Amino acid sequence: MMTPFEEELKRALHRQEPSADFTARVLARCEAATNAEARYAFWQRLWTLPTWRLGLATGAVALLMLGLGTMYEQHEHEVKGMAAKRQLLLAMHIAGTKLQQVQQRVNESE
Amino acid sequence: MAVLLAATTSMAATRDGQAVLPSFATAVETHKSMVYSIAWQFLRDRVAADELAQDVFLQLHKNWGRIESPVHLMFWLRKVATHRAIDAARKRKAQAETSLEETDEPTVLERVHDSFLSSYLQRMVASLPEKQRSVIVLRYQEEMELEEIAKLLSMNVSTVKTQISRALELLRGKVSRRLGKGID
Repeated sequence: MMTPFEEELKRALHRQEPSADFTARVLARCEAATNAEARYAFWQRLWTLPTWRLGLATGAVALLMLGLGTMYEQHEHEVKGMAAKRQLLLAMHIAGTKLQQVQQRVNESE
Repeated sequence: MAVLLAATTSMAATRDGQAVLPSFATAVETHKSMVYSIAWQFLRDRVAADELAQDVFLQLHKNWGRIESPVHLMFWLRKVATHRAIDAARKRKAQAETSLEETDEPTVLERVHDSFLSSYLQRMVASLPEKQRSVIVLRYQEEMELEEIAKLLSMNVSTVKTQISRALELLRGKVSRRLGKGID
């Protein structure tokens, strides 16, 4: 049984309503938090992978890098070879022309 | 937003047997005034109370999988809201001592609806020590039984009774001095 004072207190402490968009704001914050957690979870999973899996993944990445490096080196070698070939052909062409000119002068002097 | 609602609804639907949990969105809509009011009685600041109530629901969202029933949901919300409100009130108190001069002026609506005594009592409750304030709010705003309050605040029932009687005595004394007459 409540006293009149307690009844008055009960009346005074009535519930208050928050702003009208309260629920929408809560749901928006929850959704943002869920998205942030999902992003974090990806990196967290990666970090907590078992050692052998992490080693395997690292090995695969290293092999890929090595393969790419070798391919690049081969390509560079081919490019240099082609350039040397072009230079050699040019030198031979120049030498041929000179020889032809000398031959021509020798023929004229005779 | 739709994904969130669907996820929470399906979670609720899987619980058979006792009363089924509402969706998370429905839970917020249903209990927002309770959580906000608890925060309001401690902080007497609409922005701070709103923020605190939102934080409580954000925490609920994180722990939604652990909520077992509507009764558990209500208990959980009251417990978290009360403890957070007590902490927030303590922090505020550390910054500046709460006094009548510092409490918000009632809005126009409040002036219309509340009698002078109600308004005065609200302010007096806000000036009570945190423990007494929490038992008074839970007892008279939330209309909880003494045993429920004891469980929620991890106290003995006798301690709750003592806190309530001390708080009532304090409030009666203040009201008597203010109005010049006593209320039993």
